Amino acid sequence: MRKLLIAVVAAGCLVLLGFTLSSLIRLFRDDLMVPAEIDDRRSGYRLVLITQETDTPFWDEVEKGAAEAAERYGAELAVWGSYGTNEEDFLKNMEIAIASKVDGIIVQGLDTDEFNKLATVKAAGNGIPVFTVANDVPIQKSLRRTYIGSDHRKAGEMIGKQLALDIGGSGNVVLMVSDRREDFQSKRLDGILSVLGSYPGIRPIIAAAGNTREKVVAKINDVMNQQPNVSAFVAVTANNAGAMVQEISKRATLSKFRLYSFDDSSEIKTLLREKKMNAIIEQSPGKMGELSVELMIKWLKREAFPLNYEGYYTDIRLLKADGTS
Amino acid sequence: MNTIQKKILSFTAIVLFIMVSIWVVLTYYNQKMQGQYNQILQRYLQMNEVTASSQQLVTSLNNYLQTPDAEGKLGVEAGVKRLTDAKHRIAALRNDGNHFTLTNYLSLIDSLVDSTNRSVRFLEEKNNEESLNDFTEATRLSKYISEMTLTLLDTDLKTYDHFYRGMIRQSNELKKLGFWMLALITVILLLFTYWFSLSITRPIQKLTQAARELSRGRFDTPIEAPASDEISFLARTFDRMRININNLISEIQHKAQLESELKESKLLLKESQLRSLQSQINPHFLFNTLDTLSKKAYLEGSEETSDLLASVAGLLRYNLKRLDRPVTLYDEIRVLKEYLGIQKARFTDRLKYEFDVDEGALAASIPGLTLQPIVENAVIHAVEPLEEGGTIRFRVRDEGERVVVDIEDDGTGMPEERIRAILEERAAAQQGGGHSTGIGFGNVVRRLRLFYGREDVIEIQSGEGTGTKVTLTLPKTREVKAYD
Repeated sequence: MRKLLIAVVAAGCLVLLGFTLSSLIRLFRDDLMVPAEIDDRRSGYRLVLITQETDTPFWDEVEKGAAEAAERYGAELAVWGSYGTNEEDFLKNMEIAIASKVDGIIVQGLDTDEFNKLATVKAAGNGIPVFTVANDVPIQKSLRRTYIGSDHRKAGEMIGKQLALDIGGSGNVVLMVSDRREDFQSKRLDGILSVLGSYPGIRPIIAAAGNTREKVVAKINDVMNQQPNVSAFVAVTANNAGAMVQEISKRATLSKFRLYSFDDSSEIKTLLREKKMNAIIEQSPGKMGELSVELMIKWLKREAFPLNYEGYYTDIRLLKADGTS
Repeated sequence: MNTIQKKILSFTAIVLFIMVSIWVVLTYYNQKMQGQYNQILQRYLQMNEVTASSQQLVTSLNNYLQTPDAEGKLGVEAGVKRLTDAKHRIAALRNDGNHFTLTNYLSLIDSLVDSTNRSVRFLEEKNNEESLNDFTEATRLSKYISEMTLTLLDTDLKTYDHFYRGMIRQSNELKKLGFWMLALITVILLLFTYWFSLSITRPIQKLTQAARELSRGRFDTPIEAPASDEISFLARTFDRMRININNLISEIQHKAQLESELKESKLLLKESQLRSLQSQINPHFLFNTLDTLSKKAYLEGSEETSDLLASVAGLLRYNLKRLDRPVTLYDEIRVLKEYLGIQKARFTDRLKYEFDVDEGALAASIPGLTLQPIVENAVIHAVEPLEEGGTIRFRVRDEGERVVVDIEDDGTGMPEERIRAILEERAAAQQGGGHSTGIGFGNVVRRLRLFYGREDVIEIQSGEGTGTKVTLTLPKTREVKAYD
């Protein structure tokens, strides 16, 4: 009886010991370390990519490409984006980047006075190189070092040629543009017009609308009321192709018109597959990001010197509804 | 030394040690945690300090621009210094999570300081417009710094998220550990106390048991004292007492035995005397008659017969007188010779005997009628049954402390069984049947041993056909005087 009692108590003792030890081990095993404070300033360049349209598929691609290149070259890259073309935020980010004395700024170009002033006075004054990506600004106004992105003029020409081919050389063509003056838009327009100029039968009608969907819809109604015989619509600026297609399909049979866009968002690509669009321009956003970071680092290391001020163009392809390009 | 006191001391020491070690562990842990909390808090405070000092700098710059005097300038300079100090401190807070932002932050602070300095310089150059521009920029930068402080704090929260969760987990674990430890220590202490008290009370119980045994009169079980504390000292003393008592008892028993032996020998004597008395009338009559016969034989010219009769008479007289007191070896040998003379007359040539006596040993004392029964035994066994007779050799040697008497015959020898019976004084050997004096071999052995107080006085060697040799080793000084 006594032996049994002693055995039971000893067993209980062992169990308790086991629990205590395991608790103790758990307590001291993951020795909580405050995240280490590091002393060394890293040799990598600090780059900032500033965009106005963060979280769009296009810019996601750009960011991804840039991040990969930065990783490869051991540079540090921060992406500061503002939503929905919030110009004030965008300019603030620009100013902070300049005041933070980063090594290089890669920015979605914005052809406004404020932007140009920041780029010329502040950035150039502090010796910070500014590259524009995807959207360019005129070099004379901004003193940007170079541009990386699509050749918008060439894109305009490609659409123009395809358009002329599709409508057979005559007809009214509505060119939907944004009322914001943007460099890429005017270049695309130039491209289209230069092609269409050689077709006397084609009459281009330029319709400028605001950035919002309602304004685009209103403008299309307006144009269609005034010009009943329209053969084709071209969404020159990026984000109004969807609204355009929707509104036209409300008023008439889509197949009566030929529709073109410079945008390759998933919405537009779906429309293209459904043959609601005739042709679109596909750009290479990933490549843009990658190349911009690569060039920036090479420039900072003085490996790419001098830079081509005109810009470095990335691939553009014409995607047609029948699947050919 | 392993005393009860030492046990108690070590028990206390162990308990104390456990408590101290727990205290040390917990204190160490607490200190560590507090250090980490402090570190984190410091980070936040320093970041906040940057915001505060940058705002203060802008305020003092504004004051200076409003009223440009020496005091205002001092205020601006103090603000710049405070901000720069804060910047240096915050530069040490770099980690993997905030590396980029922190670098920007530091540059931003530099830019603010630059703008402030420029603004002051332009004001001194009376270039009010530029000064104001820089002030506006400084204001904006200050705002950006505040915003970036929030970003940094946010980054820190993210970086430290794992750490915070770990701390919460650990504090929960600590709580659990406390409970387990309390339970464990309680059980261990209970066990330990039980064992400890047992180690003190068990020897006492054993001692009690031993005392009970002693009180019942059992003195032969030893008292165990396994440990070596105070109780065991008691136990040892107790055990020694038990041994002493035991010794005393055995001594008393020994004495009692001796006494009983003495009584026995006296009884033996009485028996012999009784036998003598029984035949006392006869012997006196016989003795007188034999004397007369001897004289008559002598007068008639038969000298041999006369001598023989005289020997018989002497033997008879000796037998009557000398049984209860020691005699000298000389007397014993004289009687022996008379006896052998009588036997010689009986056996004529069949009995041969040789004497070899060391004269110096003749004064030794010996119980009366001891040699005669042995020689008679030899005659009965070695001479009487054999037609050709036998030889008896009698030898006395003086060996300093002892006198050695050999009685040797060349008869058929004695069986082993009988020798043992004689030496072990069994009843069968006591009988004096067939002996002329009525005293047997066994009686002789018994009396010799009692007389000298030793067992080794007699030795018998015998072999089949080689005769028997009886050796008496008689000490010259007797050990037990009780016999007289």
